[in-house]
Amino acid sequence: MLSLKQISKYYQNGGSKVYVLNRIDLDVDKGEFISIMGPSGSGKSTLLNIIGMLDEPNEGYHYFVGEPVHQLKEKQRSALYKQNIGFVFQAYHLIDELTVYENIETPLIYQNVKGSERKALVADVLDRFNIVGKKDLFPSQLSGGQQQLVGIARALIAKPKLLLADEPTGNLNSKQGEEIMDLFRKLNQEDGVTIIQVTHSEKNAQYGSRIIELLDGAIASSTNV
Amino acid sequence: MFKNYLKTAWRNLWKGKVFNAMNVVGLSVAVACCILLFLTVYYEFSYDRFHTNLSNLYQVYAVSHRPNGDEPSTSMPVPLTPALKAEYQDVKFASRSANSGAIVRYGDKELDKDIHYVDEDFLKMYSFPLVQGNANTALSGINNVVISENAAESLFGKQNPINKTIQINLDNKPTSFLVTGIAKTAPDNSSIQFDILMRFEHYETYQRDLDHWDNATHLVYVQMKEGFDPSTFTKRLQPFVKKHFAQNIDLLKRDGAKPDAEGNIYSLKLTNFANNHFNVNMGGVEGSPISKIYVISLAAIGLFILVIACINFINLSVARAFTRAREVGVRKTLGAGKWQLLVQFWMETVMVCFAATVLGTLLAAVAMPQFKAIFKSQVSMGMLLQPTQLIGALLLFIIITVIAGFYPALIMMRYKTVSVLKGAVLNNKPGKLRNTLLVVQFSLSTLLIICTIVTWQQIQFLQNKPLGFNKTEVLSIPTGHNEIGLNVLSLMRNKLSDNPDVVSVTGAYMNFGRGTDGSMRTSIQGFNYKDTEVRTHIERVDYEYLKTLDIKLLEGRDFSRAYAGDTTAVVINEAMATQLGGKNLVGTYLPMYDNGEKTQIIGIVKNYNFRSLHEDIAPLTLTMNKEYSINYIYVKVKPGSLIQAYDRIKQSWHALLPNTEFQGSWLNENTERQYRAEKRLSGIFVSGAVIAIIISCIGLLAISIMIVMQRNKEIGIRKVLGASVPRIVMMLSSDFVKLVLLAAVIAFPIAWWLMHNWLQSFAYRVVLHWWVFAAAALLAMLVAFVTISFQSIKAAVSNPIKSLRSE
Repeated sequence: MLSLKQISKYYQNGGSKVYVLNRIDLDVDKGEFISIMGPSGSGKSTLLNIIGMLDEPNEGYHYFVGEPVHQLKEKQRSALYKQNIGFVFQAYHLIDELTVYENIETPLIYQNVKGSERKALVADVLDRFNIVGKKDLFPSQLSGGQQQLVGIARALIAKPKLLLADEPTGNLNSKQGEEIMDLFRKLNQEDGVTIIQVTHSEKNAQYGSRIIELLDGAIASSTNV
Repeated sequence: MFKNYLKTAWRNLWKGKVFNAMNVVGLSVAVACCILLFLTVYYEFSYDRFHTNLSNLYQVYAVSHRPNGDEPSTSMPVPLTPALKAEYQDVKFASRSANSGAIVRYGDKELDKDIHYVDEDFLKMYSFPLVQGNANTALSGINNVVISENAAESLFGKQNPINKTIQINLDNKPTSFLVTGIAKTAPDNSSIQFDILMRFEHYETYQRDLDHWDNATHLVYVQMKEGFDPSTFTKRLQPFVKKHFAQNIDLLKRDGAKPDAEGNIYSLKLTNFANNHFNVNMGGVEGSPISKIYVISLAAIGLFILVIACINFINLSVARAFTRAREVGVRKTLGAGKWQLLVQFWMETVMVCFAATVLGTLLAAVAMPQFKAIFKSQVSMGMLLQPTQLIGALLLFIIITVIAGFYPALIMMRYKTVSVLKGAVLNNKPGKLRNTLLVVQFSLSTLLIICTIVTWQQIQFLQNKPLGFNKTEVLSIPTGHNEIGLNVLSLMRNKLSDNPDVVSVTGAYMNFGRGTDGSMRTSIQGFNYKDTEVRTHIERVDYEYLKTLDIKLLEGRDFSRAYAGDTTAVVINEAMATQLGGKNLVGTYLPMYDNGEKTQIIGIVKNYNFRSLHEDIAPLTLTMNKEYSINYIYVKVKPGSLIQAYDRIKQSWHALLPNTEFQGSWLNENTERQYRAEKRLSGIFVSGAVIAIIISCIGLLAISIMIVMQRNKEIGIRKVLGASVPRIVMMLSSDFVKLVLLAAVIAFPIAWWLMHNWLQSFAYRVVLHWWVFAAAALLAMLVAFVTISFQSIKAAVSNPIKSLRSE
């Protein structure tokens, strides 16, 4: 469903180019659960952002569900993104001014989903994640684990085909982290959501079906678990 | 979606309470100011607009091209109007116009009413619709009168006034008039105001001047036919002028008049009546015209305050935008489109603006009575509800929200999603735009401060300048319309002769300054003296005039009862003496009158400011000529018992003249009343400056909060490295103080130019000192520094560990 060909990202530093990503080739199939690992500065997050269309590569070809992303216009890319990708962040990035319910609802609003349908969808997700009781609380009233749970619920509300997670457990303690990873595995195996996560943790990486090791902007290894 | 926007907007506004409260306060004050000022401006421009023939109505005026410049005059001779109408086909209607007051009697009622002398065409030219009577015939009979609804009510009560006969005192003789029409009372924004319309044939000098082309006594208005071209009319009038004003032209030529571009020495011109309310330089028009500069100043100050408040709004919104960058980033990852985000932020702006508008309107309603009293404004909140105003307000509202809302939103759109989400510090360079806006704000504020100081100085100067006569101990009492001045004078003289507080009593034709009766009189006479034309103001006085007013005699003597010939003699001022030239003028004779009678100069007095300080002291001749009436009684009292003396004189007045109102006022009150317009302008500058500075400072405060927030880490690091508190305060403040200084420098030339021009309208004026500018700049900088210090000191003394840990 995803195919990167010769993707490069660099910064101009004086006369020379400093490569963050250097000619990356990567193919991801539907239903995979990939963990991207690597030391700081190896380009993990940049790669994830490019896959998530938050960032653009300087060179290379990027195909997503059969569409050539590198050729799409802003508007088309935005539509493609809205319908197919959900993002989970290390710092949760919930909107402080919105309640749990409203945070989860927001992506649907941007997709012009009707009010009644939104209600049903959000109620469904709240139920599934066991956070019905928390729906009227604001993010600041939740623990980190609960916030991340809301973050994931929000990422999944629009039923994306691909879930991107940038160190989703980085700000959590080990128990909360385990719960989140269990949830990811369940989503992957039971709901068939394709997941790509960036992680530092060897243990969390083991939850996935494939581990990709990045070093200095290039893929050093790709191992199936 | 809309509900969601509204909800988030509200929560966001609530979260930034302090910022938004500042925003709302600043903006609502500005809105209130704008409502009051713009309504006043609108009102002034609405004058006389209700006349349906407005575009064809003109006032006739003459221009004499004298050697020392063009001199316009609106006074016209009696025979001009019929001649003009007969000789020029374009003149559709014409009406002479003069005003006076008279006592009107009906039954046992006796009231003082304003008489407006007009010709028959008047009601056809102007839109004063008749409630009863026929506009075409109402004034056809010479003894017909049309009265206003107000006057009709006060005179007739519930009776129908039509075809009733009323008595009007003209020249102290009661005359009968037939009421043939009731006119709707003129609106407040009409230059022409009247209780009674009377045929011009009854005007006091009509019979005398019937064939005199050299005696100008009244105003003339004409209505031209459709399609009339005013640009060539002056030229077409030249034959008419040459025929009827030949004598005038000869006199002007002899005095060295210079022909204008078309070779004319004396010309008649037309000025559009639509511009009547702003025709201040014409010498005489209907109503009390006001300077367009004054109205434009009002509009400009309103605009300044609005601009300053909008700049605040933009700066504050941009400041808030920094704190909301992350939210924008998150919303983008959740699939928000550009327009959706823009609309969301715009919504917040609309809400703030709306709150400010509501609050500002309330504020304006609360301040309205005060404002009307101080600025003599006739506005009302009801004026806001007219379609033009509503549309204007709506447009302004939309423009402000678009500018103030979209710009910050656009800035936020530009943030890079990835870096925002990473929590990268938004260390943008302090915006050029923000600095520019700050400079604009403080330029306007400094400008207003300078204007405030200069106008205040000038008013102080006007009030404190010695005028050459005693203005503190002399009481001026208008004699009223139904008394003969000379009789009143002798009555008062007798009555007050045994009053121990009274030093002396005299009478005169003209008042000093503006009395409570509001009248102004001017009499200028010209005559030939040694083959040149001499022009002089005439003041009819009575015995003890110089003594009562403490006017200094330089040569000769005052009028004295000991010399019988003094009733035909004159006393002149220095300016007149200079004009006459030569020495030893006392004892010489002046050929002042057409009948060849000569009048002797018996004394010369030191110049005194008998008119306002807008004008230089002109030649003046004091005479006891009985042709001029006594209109004012002057009473000089002993110092130290002014209030008591006032009451006693008032009692004496009522004892002598039970039917005449006592309108006495001290001369210093009268002279100060002449500068009401200047005081009003100064008042507006003061309020404008104060409001501008306050609003600017609110903005500056908000920006300093933002700056401190942005530089929190830097401040922490500097403190760890050993920077002292004053050093950090200086570092944070100096950037802004520099901007304010720059703003002041930009404001200087504009302020200088404005004030220099304003001062030109005074013959006596203060000098523009450099220190006024320095003081204004210093004041602005000081205020700015204090404002910023609140935040910078707080940041400087806070513990650096906190700010460094938070990263």
